[in-house]
Amino acid sequence: MSPGLRFALLTALGLALFPFAFHAIDGYAGLATQILIMSIASIGFNLLLGYTGLLSYGHAMFYGGGGYVAALLLIRVMPQHPNLWLAVLGATLAATVLALLVGALAVRLYGIYFALLTLAFAQMIFFVVEQSQDWTNGDDGLQNFPAAMLPIGPYSIDLGTPLPALPLGPFGNLSDIKLWYIFAALVFFGVMIGVRALTRSQFGEVLTAIRENEERSTLIGFNAPAYRLAAFAISGALTGLAGALRALYDGSVPIDSVGIERSGSFVIFTIVGGVQTLFGPVVGTGLIMYLEAVLSGKLDYWRLIEGVIFVAVIIFLPAGIVGTINNRVKERRALLAASVRAK
Amino acid sequence: MVALTQALLNGLVLGLIYVAIAVGLTIVFGTLRLVNFAHGAFYAIGAYIGLVVAQQWGLGPALVAAPLAVALFAVILDRVLLRAFYSKDATSQILVTFGIALIVEETLRLIFGSTTLQYPPLPALATSFAMGPIVYPAYRLLFALGVVVMLVLVWLFLEKTDYGLIVRAGVRDRTMVQLLGGNIKAASTIVFALGAAIAGLVGAAASPIYSIAPGTGFAFLVPSFVVVVVGGLGSFWGAVLGGLLIGELQSVTTLVFPPAANVVIYLCMAVVLLLRPQGLLGESEVIRQ
Repeated sequence: MSPGLRFALLTALGLALFPFAFHAIDGYAGLATQILIMSIASIGFNLLLGYTGLLSYGHAMFYGGGGYVAALLLIRVMPQHPNLWLAVLGATLAATVLALLVGALAVRLYGIYFALLTLAFAQMIFFVVEQSQDWTNGDDGLQNFPAAMLPIGPYSIDLGTPLPALPLGPFGNLSDIKLWYIFAALVFFGVMIGVRALTRSQFGEVLTAIRENEERSTLIGFNAPAYRLAAFAISGALTGLAGALRALYDGSVPIDSVGIERSGSFVIFTIVGGVQTLFGPVVGTGLIMYLEAVLSGKLDYWRLIEGVIFVAVIIFLPAGIVGTINNRVKERRALLAASVRAK
Repeated sequence: MVALTQALLNGLVLGLIYVAIAVGLTIVFGTLRLVNFAHGAFYAIGAYIGLVVAQQWGLGPALVAAPLAVALFAVILDRVLLRAFYSKDATSQILVTFGIALIVEETLRLIFGSTTLQYPPLPALATSFAMGPIVYPAYRLLFALGVVVMLVLVWLFLEKTDYGLIVRAGVRDRTMVQLLGGNIKAASTIVFALGAAIAGLVGAAASPIYSIAPGTGFAFLVPSFVVVVVGGLGSFWGAVLGGLLIGELQSVTTLVFPPAANVVIYLCMAVVLLLRPQGLLGESEVIRQ
């Protein structure tokens, strides 16, 4: 079996089992869907941080921007025939255009300057959204917009429909899961396959080369800012896609979705899971969102725990959870190979 | 006219807070090459300690206790944790100090609650200063004067002392200072404590004017970073110029067109970053960090 096929099969298997295994540890099916959606945003964020070394402090502008555009498309453009495809595609496209505009200015900067410029644009967008009361409902955010239907061929599918009832003992009931999970899982699967291919392509290799030594890559003939801009656009597009999906799934877009704390959450998710790894952002997103769902109701200092986890990971596991595991596995394999050779 | 004068005075007070926080950020960056997202936390800790002390013993003791306590906290933080990050890239520094800022904010929330706290109505805060038709709270004017005096003292420290010499030289060429035998390590502890103490003092002194909440530190930090970038990372006068510019810009926009008040400072920063990335008074050498 080729590594690519094995990766696809394992990912698909994981997605099929996730909500049931998740139920057994007190997670609920709705959270499983939200985790998959947020993971797409974190994967987008990691594509930028992991493969260009650029830390964006403004990814909420794509996430929240995607959410608002999707909601506004439903409310203003197609209230009679709310089409999920069009809302999601329109929002992703809008996020991509925004990323190209911001990126065209930002990719010439590095480190703190890049972080602060992205933060500045995100803050501008936050305040513009907050002040555009007529369109965005200001601080209250948008709710009660038309539930989008998913037209496939002659059918128009309501993703809120649960699966048929089937008791599964400690793993809950099949009907806990709505079609939304299947849809989110399919999109997530596509994103994983696409990002894996992208990072293994020549494009991904050039990005890594630029990150490691920009001067040399430029001298070889690669246009470094153009490559970074492309990475920024893809990153923004994925985050915008996630924002749109989350808005449609939740049926609401809070003002926080364009706020500074949302930008910070993608940083936390990705660092905790592990930058430069495929599954790191997914694991980080899942872990933090799960802990938040379980703990934030019981403990009023959940956010303190989150901060402690974040700092502890930076100090003790600088490669993140998945990155550390990967490194250990590699060490083991190297040791094993060395001992085999010695024999 | 009266409204404009008051807006300009408000902008001056706000700008001076930004200047004070930004000066700390900028000297810490200049000497230690540390991008400190936890600097706003020093302001917040100072504000809360100041409030607690002021309720017991009055405003005077608060203004002594807050900077000392914050400086002590900063030195411990520096020794235990941050020192390991001096030599790392800006991204790692941003991440770890952002994490510390989160922890401090949530600890303050745990101790003092999420509610916004107000100062008790001290008699010193009730007095107003009148000049013709313009009436302005005396405490604010006193505050502005106090910050200016403090900035002059900091400037004298940087210009007239040996430590200040090392700090200024470190901004230009850190390696050369070390090669010439300058003790950057000793200077860095003092500079870090000094930057934190300034933020703590201003936090305690400004909170009778602005209210205090756990998120206050970060709320002041973000505009202060705007100030540092506009003025030039590592430049003392850049922080002063940038702070006053941003404070007045924000205040006057609030008067003229309130919805844009928060957007305009980020717009200003974006324009400066794109046209003159080293900032108005910055050295071009530091931009590729």
